[in-house]
Amino acid sequence: MSYPEPQDRVSDRYQAGIGSRGYYDLRRVVIIAIFAAITIVLGLIEAMIPLQLAVPGAKLGLGNIMVLTCLYFLRARDALTLIALKTVLTALILGTFSSFLFSIAGSLLSFLFMYGLLRIGSGRFSMIGISLVGGVTHNIGQLGAATIVLGTAKIFYYLPFLMAAGIVTGIFVGLAARYLIQRLERIPAFEELRYS
Amino acid sequence: MKRGDIWLIAIVLITLGITSWMMFQQRAASDSYDGVKYARITVDRNHYRTVRLDEEQTIEIRTNHGYNLLQVKDGGVRMIEGDCRDDLCVLMGFKDRIGDTIVCLPNRVLVEIIGEHGEEADVDAVVS
Repeated sequence: MSYPEPQDRVSDRYQAGIGSRGYYDLRRVVIIAIFAAITIVLGLIEAMIPLQLAVPGAKLGLGNIMVLTCLYFLRARDALTLIALKTVLTALILGTFSSFLFSIAGSLLSFLFMYGLLRIGSGRFSMIGISLVGGVTHNIGQLGAATIVLGTAKIFYYLPFLMAAGIVTGIFVGLAARYLIQRLERIPAFEELRYS
Repeated sequence: MKRGDIWLIAIVLITLGITSWMMFQQRAASDSYDGVKYARITVDRNHYRTVRLDEEQTIEIRTNHGYNLLQVKDGGVRMIEGDCRDDLCVLMGFKDRIGDTIVCLPNRVLVEIIGEHGEEADVDAVVS
């Protein structure tokens, strides 16, 4: 699939007088900042939902809605910035600093898989499939980090439970991300970013 | 949903199937075991204590990582308290099968249930 050149997509309104890279970079920074703020609010909402009672260790992963959206519209390094902000700020706000390492491990592994599927798969996978893989690999990353810390792979017995939860939440998150992306695509500023 | 999604879902479901099957094998093996079971407590990779599951007691796990209270009752274990913020270890509930684990990651506590000839039979023979 080939995309048209950026300038073809940019409306005159946006191009007028602002052809510099700086314009785009500033806009990226602002969007990442807004996304990070939304991600953290989603994380706080998520902390109130007692999913942990059903499957200890499982999470809804609402923040992944924003990571997926960011991956879709912006570059990989922008999504990584978002993940770094999300992980550090959520750890500071929720005060669960001990889970910081596990959170990072899960986020990075799921990022790698989602990025791979989105870019290398170039359109073969829908947001739902990508998010599902993201949810499951997040759990695997966390268990992997826990295996290193505890020095035993026995905790992988939890994987079936976490995976089952990850499939359900992954589909939900994927649907939400698809809905958000469809809406944001109608905003010219976002559409331009996608191809710039 | 796209065609590629079918593959993703298939791979995930196969992995889920394999891991579930391994878990059920483990459970079946544990259910056919009728010897003495032990709970081995490890803190930050270091052996803390190993106790018999048929001796009811509560064990305080107090280390510089934090505090947990483990209850040994009805032939199994349950974490009833922890000073970790997430309390996942408490939510993990009652465990009595060989291979089962209770983990408190913030406090680096790992409780695993092992059999008589479980790997490294480093059982404290006399436990007060």
